[in-house]
Amino acid sequence: MAMAMAIDDATELDFSAYSTSTTTTTTTTATTDDEYGCNWNDWSPVVDWNTLSGGQDDFQDLIESMIDESGLQPARSAVNYQEGCNSPSTDTTMFTDEEPSGDDLKGLRLVHLLMAAAEALTGVNKCHELARVILVRLKELVSPTDGTNMERLAAHFTEALQGLLEGAGGGHGKHLISGGPQRDDHHHHHQTDVLAAFQLMQDMSPYVKFGHFTANQAILEAVTQHRRVHIVDYDIMEGIQWASLMQALVSRKNGPPAPHLRITALSRGGNGRRSIGTIQETGRRLTAFATSIGQPFSFHQCRLDSDETFRPSSLKLVRGEALIFNCMLHLPHFSYRAPESVASFLSGAKTLNPRLVTLVEEELGLIGDQGFVSRFIDSLHHYSALYDSLEAGFPMQRRARALVERVFLGPRIVGSLGRIYRTRGDEEGGSWREWLGATGFRPVDISFANHCQAKLLLGLFNDGYRVEELASNRLVLGWKSRRLLSASIWSSPFDSDS
Amino acid sequence: MFHPKKPSGMNSHERGMCVQGDSGLVLTTDPKPRLRWTVELHERFVDAVTQLGGPDKATPKTIMRVMGVKGLTLYHLKSHLQKFRLGKQPHKEFNDHSIKDASALELQRSSASSSAMIGRSMNEMQMEVQRRLHEQLEVQRHLQLRIEAQGKYMQAMLEKACQTLAGESMVLHNSSGAGYHNHKTPSNMPNPMNSIGGGAPFVKDFGSSSPLNFPSFQDLNIYGGADQLDLHPNLDRPSLSLDSYHLPSNNNSSHDNSGFGKKRPSPFVTGGSGKNPLLWSADDLPEHGHDQIHTPEMVDSISVDIYEAKPPPALTGGGGGDEQKPLKPHRHDDHLFQQAG
Repeated sequence: MAMAMAIDDATELDFSAYSTSTTTTTTTTATTDDEYGCNWNDWSPVVDWNTLSGGQDDFQDLIESMIDESGLQPARSAVNYQEGCNSPSTDTTMFTDEEPSGDDLKGLRLVHLLMAAAEALTGVNKCHELARVILVRLKELVSPTDGTNMERLAAHFTEALQGLLEGAGGGHGKHLISGGPQRDDHHHHHQTDVLAAFQLMQDMSPYVKFGHFTANQAILEAVTQHRRVHIVDYDIMEGIQWASLMQALVSRKNGPPAPHLRITALSRGGNGRRSIGTIQETGRRLTAFATSIGQPFSFHQCRLDSDETFRPSSLKLVRGEALIFNCMLHLPHFSYRAPESVASFLSGAKTLNPRLVTLVEEELGLIGDQGFVSRFIDSLHHYSALYDSLEAGFPMQRRARALVERVFLGPRIVGSLGRIYRTRGDEEGGSWREWLGATGFRPVDISFANHCQAKLLLGLFNDGYRVEELASNRLVLGWKSRRLLSASIWSSPFDSDS
Repeated sequence: MFHPKKPSGMNSHERGMCVQGDSGLVLTTDPKPRLRWTVELHERFVDAVTQLGGPDKATPKTIMRVMGVKGLTLYHLKSHLQKFRLGKQPHKEFNDHSIKDASALELQRSSASSSAMIGRSMNEMQMEVQRRLHEQLEVQRHLQLRIEAQGKYMQAMLEKACQTLAGESMVLHNSSGAGYHNHKTPSNMPNPMNSIGGGAPFVKDFGSSSPLNFPSFQDLNIYGGADQLDLHPNLDRPSLSLDSYHLPSNNNSSHDNSGFGKKRPSPFVTGGSGKNPLLWSADDLPEHGHDQIHTPEMVDSISVDIYEAKPPPALTGGGGGDEQKPLKPHRHDDHLFQQAG
């Protein structure tokens, strides 16, 4: 684990530090940057706070100084965008350019503004009034549905910051930072939108399939000789992960015919993103699917406690079945789950001595460097990679992307920044794989076939995706230099029957 | 050069290239058998040569007499002695030591036997490459089936949503009396699903008696399991297993095999001028933007993007049973492929 950590840190070296003294000068330096052009360290807030001493008038000056007055009107940038998105070569994160274009300059300024706002909101020199002014300016510049990737992304970050500001100031908008299940209600989308966005996301990117297929392949390899398989699924969502597993089980060549598959879905008390369907609907759907392909199947539910704690005793287990704990976290379409809940699930797993634990989680950068602003930047980096990967694969499908962004990514940004803000970045620093390793779970090697499958899968999408085997039991999906999603495979700390 | 022949009755450890005679001689199964200079045989040869006063003094005939190995011919000995002499000349000083040294021995071997060695390791390597290739093909095949399975599942969800929505719309429009009551079938209901996931044709056909049928999922399993990946949609085959699991019968999802490698004519090639009153109602569209009519076209080109512009390795459906076509080599295995070639 320590080794994997070290490698993680190494990625950050890609963004070697440029030193730029003030915000107003960074535009020129950063645009001369390398291919990836995301010199994140550049963007650490470098607002000259001394200029603020004069009072509010200076805010406006400061902001104007950060915004090039020329060519930044939203109307015009929308036009620019049309041209820009037609060139499929817009390949990387925000500022890929040999020649700095208006979009890139604007994008960079947006980043500066966002960081200034984040800094003003939470930094040492907290100044909510400044944050407010910057956010007002930002809102003039961006729209979540128009403009370049960076502009749309900035719109979501602006919204998130705005929510935090209101929450921090008065009682208004508290719901925005609660990060709890209420968030889903606030961002309620019509079910068809959610389904549509989900389908599109699957077509546009390998994120969902990567996690599902890697976990499923590991499960398949672990149960080759078993007649009964029992999967306890922490967050089953719409259940799509299991369609491909069933297909694989009924068509496996060696070993007994199709084993009996039992899935126990954990359900929480009435919250969560209902729009994709309830657990019951998922169960019906899975049962119908299993029937259609001849897979012996049964579906169960297991309720989490009111605080979303998992109690192992509430599971019904059958002797002799291969027990699998499946934990998909942070896939783009998933809703947020509290760390305490995840921890209760995984420690519950430990007591039940499962054959396999499959874990898929988001990759975070900047491990060890906490604090709101650095987490904010990391988050910006993460989502810009996500946005860019979607765009690179489907440069023309702007509306498709817009739907995915609006339904999944935007709410996630708001929610995750809210949590970072509340916890000041302390809460989510670590990864669950580290936790599993520290808890005594044993790594299970990723097979050649599994690795091969991931590579073949990525081959169906844009060239910018890559898969890394960062540990013998862990595959990581990345976009360019940014790692996005990590799938790791574990087995019980104790010798199981194997 | 040495060409391995069809193995028949050979010693297994000889990898099917040679037969061992009762005299201990190892001969190939060529019509004109070649002698395999094994280490033991070569040692006896060297003994005989030494006994006769060295490679310069010994002759094939005397060596043959001293060695006394049945089946060994003058022809064999002449050739071997010649090479022995050539090999020895520049390395006189090594003399006896070199004989026990395997690598030196290798130099003195007949070209036939050393090429056999090379052939053998090549063979092993090729087998390894074959094995990996085979595994990759298996993985590829499985991956395709898994993607298809997910696609079917997704499709069922979409269809369900459409049905629900169509029902809602029906109620809505009947009560409002506006818009679409001249289109009675659910398929013509304004429906957001039209705009996403390649859903347009599927919704259009939904509810009508579509002539298109793709191989049912069960078929895919059966045929897929038999190493016979039929990637072409069989448009005539009736769908067998869909009764219990209703699926729209065409290429809604780009995961469908019918979408692979084939551009389907899109009913919406109109380029965004809002020509499809049957399918849209501004109120029901997923997004209230100005350019919604792009969506069907856009979605159509999604699948084109994936499956046509860049034919994916796992989805090479064009060949129809051409499943032995090797994958696009992946970086990881590049060296293997090169050696194989």
